[in-house]
Amino acid sequence: MAYTIVFKVEGGADVKTQAEQGENLLELARRIGVAIDAPCAGNGTCGKCRVKLISGALEVEKNPHLSQEDFDAQWRLACQSKVHGDAVIWVPMSASAFRNNIKTADLSSPEELARYEAMTEEIFSSGIARGVQETGVGVAVDIGTTTVTAAMLDLATGHVLAKASMGNGQIRFGADVINRIIQQSKPGGVERLRHAVREETLIPIFESLCRGADKKPEDISRIVIAGNTTMEHLFVGADAQTIRLEPYVPEFLELHGKTAGELGLPAKADAPVIFAPNVGSYVGGDISAGVLPAMLWHSGEMALFIDLGTNGELVFGNEDYMLCCACSAGPAFEGGDISCGMRATHGAVDSCTIDPETMEPTLSIIDGDKPMGLCGSGLIAIISELFRCGIINAQGKFVREGKRVRYDQYGGAAYVLAFADESATGSDITLDESDLDNFIRAKAAIFSAIRTMLKSLDMTVDDIDKIIIAGGIGSGIDIGKAISIGMLPRQELTKYSYIGNSSLTGACAMLLSDEAAEKVFEIGRNMTYIELSTHPGYMDEFVAACFVPHTDAHLFD
Amino acid sequence: MAFKRVPQKFTASVNEVTIGTGDKAIVLGGENVMPLYSFDAPITNRVKIGVEITDSGYDKTVPGIAAFYAGAETIGEIAKRASEMPGGDFVVLTLEGADPNGANKPIDECVAIAKEVADAIDVPLAIQGCKNIEKDAEMFNKLAEALQGKNILLISARTEDYKQIAAGAVMAYGQKISAESAVDINLAKQLNVLISQMGVAADSYVMNVGSAAAGYGFEYVASTLDRVRGAALSQNDAMLQMPIVTPVADDAWAVKESVVSEEDFPEWGPRENRGVQMEVSTAAACLAGGSNAVILRHPASVKTISELIADLT
Repeated sequence: MAYTIVFKVEGGADVKTQAEQGENLLELARRIGVAIDAPCAGNGTCGKCRVKLISGALEVEKNPHLSQEDFDAQWRLACQSKVHGDAVIWVPMSASAFRNNIKTADLSSPEELARYEAMTEEIFSSGIARGVQETGVGVAVDIGTTTVTAAMLDLATGHVLAKASMGNGQIRFGADVINRIIQQSKPGGVERLRHAVREETLIPIFESLCRGADKKPEDISRIVIAGNTTMEHLFVGADAQTIRLEPYVPEFLELHGKTAGELGLPAKADAPVIFAPNVGSYVGGDISAGVLPAMLWHSGEMALFIDLGTNGELVFGNEDYMLCCACSAGPAFEGGDISCGMRATHGAVDSCTIDPETMEPTLSIIDGDKPMGLCGSGLIAIISELFRCGIINAQGKFVREGKRVRYDQYGGAAYVLAFADESATGSDITLDESDLDNFIRAKAAIFSAIRTMLKSLDMTVDDIDKIIIAGGIGSGIDIGKAISIGMLPRQELTKYSYIGNSSLTGACAMLLSDEAAEKVFEIGRNMTYIELSTHPGYMDEFVAACFVPHTDAHLFD
Repeated sequence: MAFKRVPQKFTASVNEVTIGTGDKAIVLGGENVMPLYSFDAPITNRVKIGVEITDSGYDKTVPGIAAFYAGAETIGEIAKRASEMPGGDFVVLTLEGADPNGANKPIDECVAIAKEVADAIDVPLAIQGCKNIEKDAEMFNKLAEALQGKNILLISARTEDYKQIAAGAVMAYGQKISAESAVDINLAKQLNVLISQMGVAADSYVMNVGSAAAGYGFEYVASTLDRVRGAALSQNDAMLQMPIVTPVADDAWAVKESVVSEEDFPEWGPRENRGVQMEVSTAAACLAGGSNAVILRHPASVKTISELIADLT
C-alpha cells in the first residue's frame, strides 16, 4: 500500500508524494525533484543528507554520522531511511543548499563579467579572429563534476545574453569522478548517468537560458561543451571505464561531428556541438578550454595555471611548450571530507581571523550572519590562522588549550568555530584533527604536484614568472594565507592572478570563433600529459608536503 | 695519470649526544664523513653497541645467550653481566613486560627493575618501552624521574607521544630520548622539527629512522639511512643531523630464519647460528648506512660487530 510523504523544504514549497513501504527516502526525494545534497551518493559515509522527521514514521539504520542526541531530536540521514508509513519530513537549507544557492563563478556578478570581457578581448587581440559560420545564438557549457555553468551568447556581437548554473544532477551517483565511472558500469548505468546530466541538468539550463534571453531552442545554432574527460564521456555515453583503469587511456580525446539533435539537446537539430579536447584521463576539455584565456600559449613567460577543484589540474609552460598533470585533492576544497564542510553557498564561512591571545574567531559568512559550515576558502583561512596562533602544530595537531579547543574522551581535539547558540544549525560547528588531516593531504597533493612537475623539467618554483588560479574555489581564497600553510609556492603576491571559471570563458571564445576553437584543439594536442600516480618522485614529495607549511621549511622562508 | 685521493669530508657534521655519566659515558655521532669512512677524516666517536636484556632477563632458548648469563639470577646480576659483554658499550633494558596486552606489569614494578639495573652497572643505560603509546608515555616520565642524574636514553618517542616524553623526560629531568619514525626521510625530519620546536636542544635527542631485518624490506631502510645521512652532511640539514640508534635485535630475532626449529627445517642448520647471522648482517648493513649505534643480543654478534667496527675505524 502507498503512504503519503510530505517534504517541507526550508525556504521553498511543500512537496507531497506517494511512496511504497521500504522505499529509500533519498531516492524518493530525487525522483520527485526535492534536492538533497549527498556527496557520497547515498552510501551513508558523508552525513550530509540530514533531514528532520516532523511526524510519522521512517525505518532507519543507525549511522555514526548522527549522534544519539541528534537522533533523539528526530534528525535522520535521508540515505539511511526507508518509508515506513505516512511522514512529514523537513528538509533544512543545509541539505538542499547545493542546488539552489550554490555560489559558482558563472559570470553572474559584475566583476566576473568584467573579467570575462577583458579576457575575451585579450584572446581576440592576440591574432585570433572572431567569426563563425553559424548565425543566431550559441550556448557554451562547462560541465563540472559538481556544478554545471552555461552562457548564451549572440554569435554576431559576442554579447552574453543569459547565463545559468546548476548542481550536476549526477551528484547523487557520487561526488567524485571515480564513483560516477563505477556507477556507469552497472546495468543501465550509461543511460542513467546521461539522463542525470542531460534531462536533469542541461535541458533545464538550456530552458532557463532561453527564458532569460527570450529565445527559442531553434535559435541555438552552435554549442560548445567543455568538461573534464569523465564528464564528456558520461554525457555522450562513451565507456568511461578505461579512465580509471591502467594504463588510464580514455576512449576519446577529440570528438568531432556531433550535432544537438544527435545528443538530444534542445537546439536546432543540426547545430554543431563542439567538444573541447581532452588531453589525458584526468586533464580534460575544461582545462584545454581554460588554458585559452589563461594565455600561457601566447607569452614567453613561464606561467603556472592551477585549476582548483575536486581534482586539481596544473598546466605549466609558455608559447613553446606546455606540460600538464592532475592530482586528486579530494573533496576537501569543496567542503567534502570535512565534518563541518559545505560548498561555498549561503551560510558558509569563507574567511576568518583568530585572536592569538584569546583564540576567539572573527568569521566572515556568505550571505548571512550565522555560520552553517566551512567552505574551501574558509578552511584555508582558519587553518592558516590556527597555525599562526600556535593552536595547531605543523602536523595539524592541537597543542593549546582553552575554551575554543575541546578534547574528547579519546584525546582527540577540535576547534569550536561557533558554539550552538552562535550557529545557524543549532549545534556546534567544529573543526577536528581528522578534518585538518584531510585538508593537509589536499594541500599537499597540490603543492607536491607543482614540485614534481617542475622537477621533471629540472626547474624550481623560482622559475615561475606568473601563477594563474582558476576554478570556483579560487575566487575567495586569500593567496597569502594559502602560501602560509604551504598550499601554493612562496612567490610575490603580484605574480598571482585569479581568472575565475576559465573553462567557461574558453568555451565562450570557442563559441564565437572558429579560430579560437581550432586554437584550443591545437593547445590540447600540444600539451604533454604527465601521469603523477606512476611518477616515482611524487609520493616522496607528497609526504614532505604533508606538514605545515612543509618539511623543507626553507621553501617558505 | 696516477690516482689522486681527495678526502670526502664535509663542513657539516652529525650532532654529538652523550649518554651516561663519568668515565664510562659514551658519545654518539660527531663525524663529518660518510659512515665508517675514517680514511677521509678521523672518526672520533666510533660506532657503539648496546647489549639488550629484558625485564624478564634474557632469552634462555638460545644456548649461547643462556651460557653467557649462566649463574646470573637477579635482574641486577644479569645487567652486570651484560655490561661486561666483550665488545659492548652500553646496556639496553627492554621493558616488554609493561605491555598492557602482555604481562602488563605495573609502572612501579618496571621503575624498580630499571633502578636495580641502573644501580648494578657502571656503563650507560638505555631503556626501550613496550611500544604501547599510553603506557610508554607515562612510564618514561616515571623512569626519567627515578633515574635522574643517570643521563639515560629513552627509546623511543613517536609522533603520538613525543610531546609528553620530550617535556617530561628531557626538559624536566635532563634525560635523552630517541625520535622514532617509520622508514621515511620526511617523517623522520618532521618529528625532529616538532621536537626541536618544543625547545629540546639538538644534543638531547637521537633518532631511530626505522629498521627491518636484512631481507625483510631492508632496501627501504638502506635508502632512508643513505638519504638521511646525505642530507645531514652534504646539505647541512640541521633537522637530520641527530645520531642514529638502531634497535637490531628485536627484528633480527623475530623473523622466520631466527625462529623456526632445526627439527622443522633440518637443512637450515642450528637455529642459533641463523639468528646470529641475521643479527650480524642486519647490524653491519645499518652501520654501513649510517647508524651510530646498534642494539644487539647475542654475545657472538656483539663480538663480530665490535671487531668489524674496530677494523674499519
